[in-house]
Amino acid sequence: MTLLHCLILAFILFSIGIYGVLTNRHLIGMLISIEIMLNAANINFVAFAYFKAQDPTAGTLFSIFSIAITACEMAVALAILIAMYRKHHSLDVNNQEKNHE
Amino acid sequence: MITIFPDILILLFPFVMLSLKLFLKVSLKTQENFAVGYFLVVFVTLNFILLGQNHFYLSNWKIDSFGIFMREIFVLSSLLAISLSHNYFNSSVSLKPKLLNFSEFSASVGFAAFGGIVVVSANDLLTLFIGLELATIPMYALVAWNKRDSEGTEAAIKFILTGSVATAFELFGFSYLYGFSGFITFPEITNAVATAQVSPLLWISLLFIISGIGFKMTLFPFHLWAPDIYEGAPTPVTAILSVTSKAVAITFLTVLVLGPLHSVQKEISPFLALLAGATLFVGNLGALSQSKLRRFMAFSSISQAGYILIALLGNTPNAKYSIVYYLFLYTFSNYLAFFIFSVVGKNQAETFSALRGLSEKNKFLAISLLIALMSLAGIPPLAGFFGKLQIFTTAAENGHFFLILFAVLNNVLALYYYIQVLKSAWIDKPEKEIALSIPTKQKIIILILTLSVLLLGFLPFLSNNLSIAFL
Repeated sequence: MTLLHCLILAFILFSIGIYGVLTNRHLIGMLISIEIMLNAANINFVAFAYFKAQDPTAGTLFSIFSIAITACEMAVALAILIAMYRKHHSLDVNNQEKNHE
Repeated sequence: MITIFPDILILLFPFVMLSLKLFLKVSLKTQENFAVGYFLVVFVTLNFILLGQNHFYLSNWKIDSFGIFMREIFVLSSLLAISLSHNYFNSSVSLKPKLLNFSEFSASVGFAAFGGIVVVSANDLLTLFIGLELATIPMYALVAWNKRDSEGTEAAIKFILTGSVATAFELFGFSYLYGFSGFITFPEITNAVATAQVSPLLWISLLFIISGIGFKMTLFPFHLWAPDIYEGAPTPVTAILSVTSKAVAITFLTVLVLGPLHSVQKEISPFLALLAGATLFVGNLGALSQSKLRRFMAFSSISQAGYILIALLGNTPNAKYSIVYYLFLYTFSNYLAFFIFSVVGKNQAETFSALRGLSEKNKFLAISLLIALMSLAGIPPLAGFFGKLQIFTTAAENGHFFLILFAVLNNVLALYYYIQVLKSAWIDKPEKEIALSIPTKQKIIILILTLSVLLLGFLPFLSNNLSIAFL
């Protein structure tokens, strides 16, 4: 396993995440796709820290911090989703689109 | 010691606000007065800090002149937003249910302001990232504040999805930047960028970072979320989004482009110029055919983001100075417009037709609206003109004449739609009479804002003071 393998894996995960956000019509599915994108970045950090960087602690710390921050973001997202579910009784994006001019 | 004092005060603000409600159970009125007073105190404290010095705390918390001015903008924006929200917590405004939980609301506003402060004081990538998130996550909650209004929740969903994708892009870009330089602290990244040959890793990381921040700053290909969200959010939140959120994004770009990436600024400036030009044009085109005021302000603020981005093409002291100066003017003019819209939309939807007959009902409001919009459009005696002039001068130093020409031509387009709003207020006859009442507090704030927009342009000593601080 080399640095390139990890970078390719991260890039593939990131692309899967983007594809998921664009094609998924379910809000939870979209959030999971976003989570995959963020974790791809974490793999990058850890891979760079392990194989290359002069300052390896920084990279690993960065990934830990980003996991915590992402958790906060998802907590807020889920709170908003619950508020939405109470109004519409559905989490499908197609059902909720209103016409904006 | 006084330099770090305002930061600590802002950090404490949300906790103080929450404990006021939780333990002391004070009334809404006291909470509002306390929040406004607190931010006023912080703003005054900020003005006592000596400019032109660099301070470092805990080895990488940096406070310089640019930082102090940006702090003033964040605090001012929070202060105005909290006073704007007064009506929305006390009665139902523009046919929407009234907002609840003022102390949590102002705490979120305080957290967002502190996020901006973290971004501007950052001296490594991790702090920068945390600051950006701290400024963005409260915004998601603020957009959804009106739980009983389904439009707001829908807007918040859109906002959090696009915002999180943008965060993922930034984080991915940061990871490449870390891989490229091997460090996350700015001095080491500066060295790595300066000594490296053309490295594909650096360019990929820049591409990701600029796309990510493009979302938050509503730059051209990533601006489509803004109108829906500005329309769905409660009006005070729209005002915060258009000022604080945009200021945080431009600070982020300034900190990166004029900091560690300074040695490649020449290489990325064509790219930034293209983004700025396209953003201006698209924002202006979009604003031409709007009928709702908040949607209109969204497009107007998209084009303003384009103007601010032009300043990043200049050299260090002038670029920072013109960004700060323009953001000050933008804050005043934008909040003035929002204050007037909230008074007009008290008992009706905030649309262009709500403005009809304003000049007959209330001359004072109509004149303030004229001043706010003319300042945003950049008409000479008003503040906005001098801000734009400063930005164009800065960009001209590095020879971006074509972009400046394009931006000036765009101003004509902008003038058209700003005058459309004024036409509704001054010429069109109202369809039905709806009484207009301004609470005294609002009247005083509108008066102060109007005077500041006028005076910031007229009195050159303010801008001179600003420019001296950056020398």
